[in-house]
Amino acid sequence: MKTHTIPMLAIATMLSMVSSAFAFGAAPAPPSNVVAVDAPDDAGEAIILSWALSPNDIFGTLESDTQATDPDLVVSVYYIERRTDSAAGNGSISEEDQGWQQISESAAGEVTTTDRKVQRGWSYSYRVCAVDIQKETSSWAATEEPVRPIMQPFNMSKAWLAIFMLMFGGLIAYFINVARSGKKLWVRPIAGLAAIDEAVGRATEMGRPVLFVTGIQDINEIQTLAGLTVLSRVAKTAAEYGAQIEVPTCRSLVMAAARETVESAYLAAGRPDSYQPDRIHYLTDEQFAFVAGVTGYMVREEPAACIYMGGFYAESLILAETGNHIGAIQVAGTAMPSQLPFFVAACDYTLIGEEFFAASAYLSDDPLQIGSLKGQDYGKFISVLILVIGICFATFASMSGSDENVWGASKNFIKDNMLGSAGLLPTGSGDTDIEGDDS
Amino acid sequence: MAHAYTPGLKVTSRMTYKVIRMLPIKGEVNVKVGDTVEADKIVAATYMPGDVYPLNMANLLAVPPKDVASLMLHKEGEKIEEGEPLAQTAGIFGKFKKIYKSPYSGTVETISDVTGQVILRGPDIPVEVRAYISGKVIDVAPEVGCTVENDAAFIQGIFGIGGETFGNIKIAVDTADQTLTAADLSEDMRGCVVVGGARMTVEAIEAARKFGVAAIVSGGMDDQDLRDFLGYDLGVAITGSEKKGITVVVTEGFGDISMASRTFELFKAFEGHEASVNGATQIRAGVMRPEIIIPLDAGSTDAEPEHSGGFLELGKPLRIIRDPYFGMIGTVKALPSDPHVLGSGSKARVLEVELNTGEAVIVPRANVELIEV
Amino acid sequence: MTIDLENINVILATDCGSTTTKAILIEKVDGTYRQTYRGEAPTTVEKPFANVTIGVTNSVTEVGELASRQLTNEDGTIKQPAKDGDGCDLYISTSSAGGGLQMMVAGVIAEMTAASAKRAALGAGAIVMDVISSNDKRRPHEQIQRIRELRPDMILISGGTDGGTTEKVVQLAELIAPAKPQPRFGSEYEMPIIYAGNKDASDEVQKSLEEDWIDLAVVENLRPKLEQENLGPARDKIHDVFLEHVMAHAPGYNMLMDWTDADIMPTPGAVGDILQTIAKKDGINVVGVDIGGATTDVFSVFDETFNRTVSANLGMSYSISNVCAEATMPNVLRWVHFDMDERQLRNRVKNKMIRPTTIPQSLESLIFEQAVAREALRLAYKQHKEFATTLKGVQQQRTVGDTFSQQSSGNTIVDNMKLNLLVASGGVLSHAPSMNQTAMMLVDAFEPEGCTNLAKDSIFMMPHLGVLSAVHPEAASQVFERDCLIYLGTCIAAKGAGRIGKPCFTWSLTGDVTASGTSNFGDLDLIAMGPEQTGTITCEPAKGFDLGAGNGKKVTHEVRGGTVGLIIDGRGRPLGLPTDRQECQQTISQWVENMKLYEEMEQAVCTA
Repeated sequence: MKTHTIPMLAIATMLSMVSSAFAFGAAPAPPSNVVAVDAPDDAGEAIILSWALSPNDIFGTLESDTQATDPDLVVSVYYIERRTDSAAGNGSISEEDQGWQQISESAAGEVTTTDRKVQRGWSYSYRVCAVDIQKETSSWAATEEPVRPIMQPFNMSKAWLAIFMLMFGGLIAYFINVARSGKKLWVRPIAGLAAIDEAVGRATEMGRPVLFVTGIQDINEIQTLAGLTVLSRVAKTAAEYGAQIEVPTCRSLVMAAARETVESAYLAAGRPDSYQPDRIHYLTDEQFAFVAGVTGYMVREEPAACIYMGGFYAESLILAETGNHIGAIQVAGTAMPSQLPFFVAACDYTLIGEEFFAASAYLSDDPLQIGSLKGQDYGKFISVLILVIGICFATFASMSGSDENVWGASKNFIKDNMLGSAGLLPTGSGDTDIEGDDS
Repeated sequence: MAHAYTPGLKVTSRMTYKVIRMLPIKGEVNVKVGDTVEADKIVAATYMPGDVYPLNMANLLAVPPKDVASLMLHKEGEKIEEGEPLAQTAGIFGKFKKIYKSPYSGTVETISDVTGQVILRGPDIPVEVRAYISGKVIDVAPEVGCTVENDAAFIQGIFGIGGETFGNIKIAVDTADQTLTAADLSEDMRGCVVVGGARMTVEAIEAARKFGVAAIVSGGMDDQDLRDFLGYDLGVAITGSEKKGITVVVTEGFGDISMASRTFELFKAFEGHEASVNGATQIRAGVMRPEIIIPLDAGSTDAEPEHSGGFLELGKPLRIIRDPYFGMIGTVKALPSDPHVLGSGSKARVLEVELNTGEAVIVPRANVELIEV
Repeated sequence: MTIDLENINVILATDCGSTTTKAILIEKVDGTYRQTYRGEAPTTVEKPFANVTIGVTNSVTEVGELASRQLTNEDGTIKQPAKDGDGCDLYISTSSAGGGLQMMVAGVIAEMTAASAKRAALGAGAIVMDVISSNDKRRPHEQIQRIRELRPDMILISGGTDGGTTEKVVQLAELIAPAKPQPRFGSEYEMPIIYAGNKDASDEVQKSLEEDWIDLAVVENLRPKLEQENLGPARDKIHDVFLEHVMAHAPGYNMLMDWTDADIMPTPGAVGDILQTIAKKDGINVVGVDIGGATTDVFSVFDETFNRTVSANLGMSYSISNVCAEATMPNVLRWVHFDMDERQLRNRVKNKMIRPTTIPQSLESLIFEQAVAREALRLAYKQHKEFATTLKGVQQQRTVGDTFSQQSSGNTIVDNMKLNLLVASGGVLSHAPSMNQTAMMLVDAFEPEGCTNLAKDSIFMMPHLGVLSAVHPEAASQVFERDCLIYLGTCIAAKGAGRIGKPCFTWSLTGDVTASGTSNFGDLDLIAMGPEQTGTITCEPAKGFDLGAGNGKKVTHEVRGGTVGLIIDGRGRPLGLPTDRQECQQTISQWVENMKLYEEMEQAVCTA
């Protein structure tokens, strides 16, 4: 009896719900509008599949909120299947792939997935079905046409990056050329670097050594490397003037690098006979033990010039204050913002952040370095300019209260296109553009 | 002052020329009073202390400066050849000795125990002084030099390049106002003193140098040509030490200016004679002008009477030495005593000059130079 | 030597230059000292006379004739003291004959002790032939070679602070001993060497300079600490040695030294002394320039710090060709407001070089010479600014506020804005046919800023007064004020740059002369204001211009007139000329017209 009543009940239920758009049976409604497109800006290695959510997907449209969905029919996952329609070149389609093969699942609420396991030039069809929590599957919704992944020669989403690269690279190349042509490029004089000759001169006149500290970081830190560049110049000046240079280091590798640097500087100055490797020595890796060692040396030997170039932490003020106390000319350079005030207050000259890194270019007088320094400066200038313009647009946009006017559009253009990855031109007409680019 | 004194350049057919030939430092004089010498005779010679090479031995050996003296293998005053060991460290237990070989030949001059510096003195440099003119030695300063004297025709130039040289006079042009060009020079002028007329071109000088001419003399030259010849713009008129292989003498000035006819005639009269030329010019206090000396046989002509010096007198021949009449020759027509306002607005004492063209012009007294005709 | 200053009524002073010996007579007239007569005669250091006193006697005789006062005795000596309208009470002299005092200096670091040594030598009136230092980029044997080539009269060695380096200083001494420089005065001359370096090294230095041809004197360190310069003892010693050795070997000077009542001073040293005296007395900053045929001397006193430089090859006759080479012809010609043929000009320049005594006859060549003078002065002043600096190698005191404005030490102390008085001397400046030309050359070359008095030394009396200031400061400053300087006027100039024709500053003048106006950028105006007239000028600069009170700030200056007047200079600083030749000529023509530079002359020539 019961077996009879069930179909009847089912029919009754079906009839009662006939006006409803919802599922006919115990399976959820299928997703609709399944579209597969070639992923833009790639090497033809992906296809983006998208669909409209099943009406039984609670992450879906607002209607599902107003019209309660049968809890049994709530979509839990979408199955995605693929069929390979044709191959390209010498490839052949395997038996399995000729039929529908499940390639992935997407959780409820998702409307898109990217298939990255495709072959360039082959064509594929996709279909999607919704699966409810009872594991009942809906009917399949398939793509209308097969899709073929193609390689795009340019990744247009990075177009602005390319433009900036070309611009900055061009500027650098231009300034290097200008510098090479013999034109004197003006670089803001950095008092601290000009003072190096003076500091070494003072040491020579007073018959005292020059102390050089490359910071407490290891050789892999950029600040230590920048410090070594300055050391090379200091050592060369010391060699020319005949002053002694003392370099205690906090890392053994830095000692080796410093010795190499100083030796070649002495060689370049034509005084290899004056080079004394013993004066460049390793103290200890321990931060404060190192500082104690250096300050002890300073108090005993009273160097006439102390130069600190590298990464410094809490020891900055201890060193600089001791140096000040013994009456030395002190030049410091670090990119540690928290230590700069101490150096500025206690030293004669301080290289601040960028200046410190620009020092090597400044000191070398090499057209390659000066040119790239100049080019980079212009690059930075352009970046800051865009930043400022963007701030202005954003301010005006928020004041006008809408993103729909020219301010908002400009702001979004800078944000999404120039600094984001929305391509060369705004997305308003972007779809067609991108497709246009694809072809 | 009754007369304005304007020194002209000396050009005379006969005078007694004395030249003092001195060594820069004491040495040996090879002649005695009464000797007759040729221009190229070495009258005195000596050795200059050689070049000095400081070596920082303390650094080279990596020892304290005070130890350097004890490690030296050659003591002060000893001679050493290049490559010979100069110093050696004590080493450890007599082993691992470090030996430093001398990079130069010379003498160990000093060893300092303060700086650890050792000074090597290179071999002595011979210095020879030649007679410069042929003539008779009339005085000898022992160990220093001698004085050579001869009767000579003497021509002072205004500006020169290069040092002492000598050769036979060869006239390369027909008239004193002819430009000296490269075409006027030839191979057979090797070792000669070539005389031109007016301006000499840089091509002419280069050609002369190519042919091995000893000296080239002409009336004028262009500043541009001088610059091309020297390779730089001459800033200060102190010359004589150029090593160009030729001595150049300009007798009148810069620009296209003819050689004074008297000078040219004098050269012509002595064509083929030997002449000594010195291009050294120094226009400073203690002025030095380039000179050409033509030694004469004793007593062939009487000495020219001393000219009355350089006093401006009516009718005296002169040359204007400043634009706008630069290079023009004339005679003194009048000597107004009151200062006169010049075209430039300055007040200065002037004179009236009757130019050879017959025109009379007024020029400042500072801008004329007496000449002898 | 004690001199009773009260009873000095007649002062005779001579300056033996390399070509002329100039004598001046100073007499007490109505209680104040005035310069009354002057005379000159050729200097007689060289053959055939070879005795400087002959020239001195000649020049003094000329003064005596003019003053109807017998100043010399029968034997040519100076008649002293003054009695019955003859003779003089005080006789003093300076000398730069025979090329002056030529020195070589050495120090450890070129910018530190060597620079101090150079300052000491220049301040004492010497010509510094070369500076040897351990960082002058020359190898030791090159330095030795150079020392051998030079023929200095004297060597000054400094180096090391007290307690500082010994090694480097001894090294310098060790260079000099083997080099054995040849003095100009022959091999018998003992080379005076002054050591003014690290006191701890003096024994070692003495040991390494123990040679029979060296006369070594040790004085106090001229840089005892890097923070402190002590030039006095070294300067005094140079002066003593100059008298003992150099002068003693110059012909006739022994005699002259007996005649004088005060030590003979090198001419430039004396000029420096009088400028210092005046600057100190009036509390002003002074720049003086003496442009000669071969060299140009620039003196400056800023905040009581004296500096002197000699630009050895910048001059108007012997060195004219070098000025043209160094400044380049286009730079010279930018001051000329008409076209000139460059090839011809080059020949003319060289002809002036080989015949240095000629004078410009045509207006054209005068304008060209004055253009050369502007460049020579400009280059000399530039060298001076580079040399006159604060001490190098000094520890700085900083605060966090200095983060972005770290100034290095060793900056020039020459500040045109603080300059009060600019004094000109030397042929091309003092003998210019019109004083307007002198003033214009000064303004164009020195580019004074703010308010600056311009003056010229009437008859180059400064050397005489310099020596006098050491003996009788009162007489010296009285004569300096009344007779020495001829005030040309005042220059009011704004610092800054703008666009041609836009307002630069507005000004209004009250006092003996009343006037007001607006100076636009690029304008140059001359306001008539006589020598005895003074006034107060109030200037209100436009934004971007500074007249002494700061950018765009109103300022009031006291001004004095002169033979030229008040120059209102709105051309901006630094002074820029149009690079286009045609445009430049037009600009200069306008300035020439406004300043009435060559007008009078054209008239004078027409009437003459």
